[in-house]
Amino acid sequence: MLTGRSRFLDDLHPPGLAHLAFVRSPYAHARVVSVSVPQGAPGLLAVLTARDLEGRARPLPIQVPEGADAADEPHPLLAAGDVRYAGQAVAAVVAESRALAEDAAELVEVEYEELDPIADPAASDLELLRWQRSGGDVDGAFASADMVAGGRYALPRLVAAPMETRGALAYHDPARDLLTLWCSSQDTHRPLRNLSHVLDVPAERLRVIVPDVGGAFGSKGPLAPEAAVAAVAAMDLGRPVKWAEDRYENFVASYQGRGMEADVELALDGDGRMLAVRARIRADLGAYLLPATAIPPHTAGMLMAGCYTLQAAEVSVTGVRTNKVPTGPYRGAGRPEAAYFLECAVDDAARALSLDPVELRRRNLIAEFPHRSPLGFTYDSGDYGRCLDLALELVEPGRAAGEHLIGTGVAMYVERAGGSFEAARAALAADGRLVIHSSTSPHGQGHDTTLAQIAAERLHVDPAAIVLEFGDSALVPGGTGTFGSRSVTVGGSAVARAVDELREQCLRAAARLLDAPQNEISWGEDGLTAGDGRTLRLSDLAAAGALEAVARFESELVFGSGAYAAVVEIERATGRLTVRRLAAVDDAGTIVNPLLAEGQVLGGAVQGLGECLSEEATYDEQAQPTSASFADYSLPTAAEVPPIAAAFVESPSPLNPLGAKGIGEGGTIGTPAAVSNAVADALGGRHVDPPFTEDKLWRAIHE
Amino acid sequence: MKPAPFDYVAARSLDEAVGLLGEDAKALAGGQSLVPLLNFRLARPDLIVDINGLSELDRLERDDGLLRIGALTRQSALERSDLVAAGWPLLSQAVRFVGHPQIRSRGTVGGSVAHADPAAELPVALAALDARFTARSPRGRRTLGAAELFIGPLTTALEPDELLIEIEVPRPPEGTGSAFVEHARTHGDFAVAGAAAVVGPEHAAVALLGAGPAPARAGAAESALVDGAEPGEAAMLAASPVEDGARRALIAELVRRAIEEAAP
Repeated sequence: MLTGRSRFLDDLHPPGLAHLAFVRSPYAHARVVSVSVPQGAPGLLAVLTARDLEGRARPLPIQVPEGADAADEPHPLLAAGDVRYAGQAVAAVVAESRALAEDAAELVEVEYEELDPIADPAASDLELLRWQRSGGDVDGAFASADMVAGGRYALPRLVAAPMETRGALAYHDPARDLLTLWCSSQDTHRPLRNLSHVLDVPAERLRVIVPDVGGAFGSKGPLAPEAAVAAVAAMDLGRPVKWAEDRYENFVASYQGRGMEADVELALDGDGRMLAVRARIRADLGAYLLPATAIPPHTAGMLMAGCYTLQAAEVSVTGVRTNKVPTGPYRGAGRPEAAYFLECAVDDAARALSLDPVELRRRNLIAEFPHRSPLGFTYDSGDYGRCLDLALELVEPGRAAGEHLIGTGVAMYVERAGGSFEAARAALAADGRLVIHSSTSPHGQGHDTTLAQIAAERLHVDPAAIVLEFGDSALVPGGTGTFGSRSVTVGGSAVARAVDELREQCLRAAARLLDAPQNEISWGEDGLTAGDGRTLRLSDLAAAGALEAVARFESELVFGSGAYAAVVEIERATGRLTVRRLAAVDDAGTIVNPLLAEGQVLGGAVQGLGECLSEEATYDEQAQPTSASFADYSLPTAAEVPPIAAAFVESPSPLNPLGAKGIGEGGTIGTPAAVSNAVADALGGRHVDPPFTEDKLWRAIHE
Repeated sequence: MKPAPFDYVAARSLDEAVGLLGEDAKALAGGQSLVPLLNFRLARPDLIVDINGLSELDRLERDDGLLRIGALTRQSALERSDLVAAGWPLLSQAVRFVGHPQIRSRGTVGGSVAHADPAAELPVALAALDARFTARSPRGRRTLGAAELFIGPLTTALEPDELLIEIEVPRPPEGTGSAFVEHARTHGDFAVAGAAAVVGPEHAAVALLGAGPAPARAGAAESALVDGAEPGEAAMLAASPVEDGARRALIAELVRRAIEEAAP
């Protein structure tokens, strides 16, 4: 990438390429009275409206979490009767260039009849999602409690803001009746499944290729509605059609993250033992249910028992409709919300008990594994106390009053990761190359390095000798996808299995070629050596015939955990916040590559800091986006990043051969809760929700 | 985010540029504000007059007691100028807050002034330095002070066919010091609030960013400082017209710090 040789979606320029732009609604809620299409314009090739898609393309499917009720409100590819958020696509324009497509899009006349929009989720009684679960004797625990403490906690909507925006390029080859979609996506599997559903075309007639991807953070999981429109346009025109999302579209039309609020109550006895938790979570889901919109609120709910030995828990999730772009997974995807809701409640409980928040945690940490939470998750392994000790040691807690208010906060987390299946194919090619096709594919995490390392250690070869192939549904075996911190855990385990099988095949082949018993063949850096010293290199084996092994790995969820601690300083005169220090201790089981793992932690922590300092997707009362450019939506810069001390505790997972868990999201999970608790500590116990802007903190101090 | 169609002329002389400007034409200098506005289709001129070839506008020189800044002077040139650092340090101090290095290497001083973003640093610093702004049109030249030029957010007294060509900045009085402080939520972001101060014996200039629709001098604070007021007291006077409590507190603190840091 540093040498400029990466090829991202918008670097693809096949011959005959046409470009797609969308006519997007300026209103947050309106009836579409009519759409009038221009008869001609420079370079104009086609205009598609909802009518053109009738009978040809269905809305995207909705993934409903277990036990949840979800409304049948899928996201239409193009708006038909009404538009429900500002930025929603109403028509698609294909032209010889993107600029000409945008010019022609201005000639599409849409008549709208404005309707009242809902911007505030609290004002919405339109439910899109409902889920609840309880375990243990919740009423009994609350009845016997000496104290009930907690509060209301909220995290705003956020924009994923990947450096590369979304995009897709579609081409239909009539000779083979094969539709190929190049897609800036986290993996091939979900776009393939979604496209098959939308077009009602069997998967064999589809091929999805993921080129280099410049970040996703959850926002490029399922198929984008716009990508499906590109596919229809490509079939209509018989030409390749590209949609390369621009930054404005990414702000208004790419699904956002977070946007949840919870009322949390903790029941405690007089000794500071947590008995039970009750939480009512409300999610501002936006206008429709995209494929993964329902997942983060459900994940948040399932994790509300946290790291604690609660006997009982009761959680409800209500997702309401507002006239905003839908939400969906954003790095953490429910886990940061759960950690924030619960860990802030624990601090409020500690203050109510006049107990040190660290001490309250220590009295309640789960210490025996496997542990079944009252909400039904089984935590596989962990050492929560060690994580907490280490975080405190690294952060050097501080507290002061005066002109500069200094406070310290800690937050624990447990997260679900892994689960479902991935697959890998390991081959010793005839030319001697070791080639691994992996069903998980990278978008910045360094899969090439980590997976090659896993394979190299098992084959005693240099990692540089291993070629990794990803991201082409015609070449890689089927899998689930790259999300939820599952690539090393599940995808890496599939690679390990495939490589182990390949190793067996190599040993058998060597035994045959050397005419020696297999159990006398040893595998070293020079190759495979028989008892008498005769050695075959891998290239010799390959010359005798290619070898190939395919493996699939499936497991239950694994549960990473961690403890984060922050020291913050607030300037009393102005309310300005400075995060002084951050300690990030994550237990992701066995760490395969410490450098890449630390990179994941630091990147996630900085995203978490952005959430604390400045990030918030805002809307006015008419539900118009008011932060739809980087002039208004501030991402953190290197200048805001404090010293971050990162460390790992390694409690191997018993559920996979690597002992791995997942490290992609810890930083975003632990950071907001720890910083928020530090801010509350500095403010003398007053809880404030992020982002911690100077005006908000000034009011907390002075009003 | 592709601009609406427009015609483009790379002006070869100042006369040509000024002759082409008008109601439906825009001058393109560094493009750091105009190009985003074009891409959002919020600005839809029929004609773009590119003035980047007018080297006579790209100069930064001392003329007797004055600093003459050609409108096309890059912000990075201002930032790196020894002449400016020695004689007009407030400009060196303020320009470092303008965006990021990439932005400053394209962005021009004249562009910052003519665009008149209420969160821009250079208009505030220039206001504190009693700068004068010279514009050309087919009708001739005229020179305005900051109070006349800056009317409101993104609004100046320049006519559509007028081109800002030069800024002249008098040398601050002998023995004065200066400082520019601001608060932005993230480094390089637009400022929430800021203050420029030039103070010394018998002289005080304080200009505010984020206290109103345009760069504003804090006259009451300046008089109080000349009369011997403490920085905190002057800062309260400067911020007092601001209605919102949090913003008033922020501006008061920034002004206090600017005055203290400026003290020679």
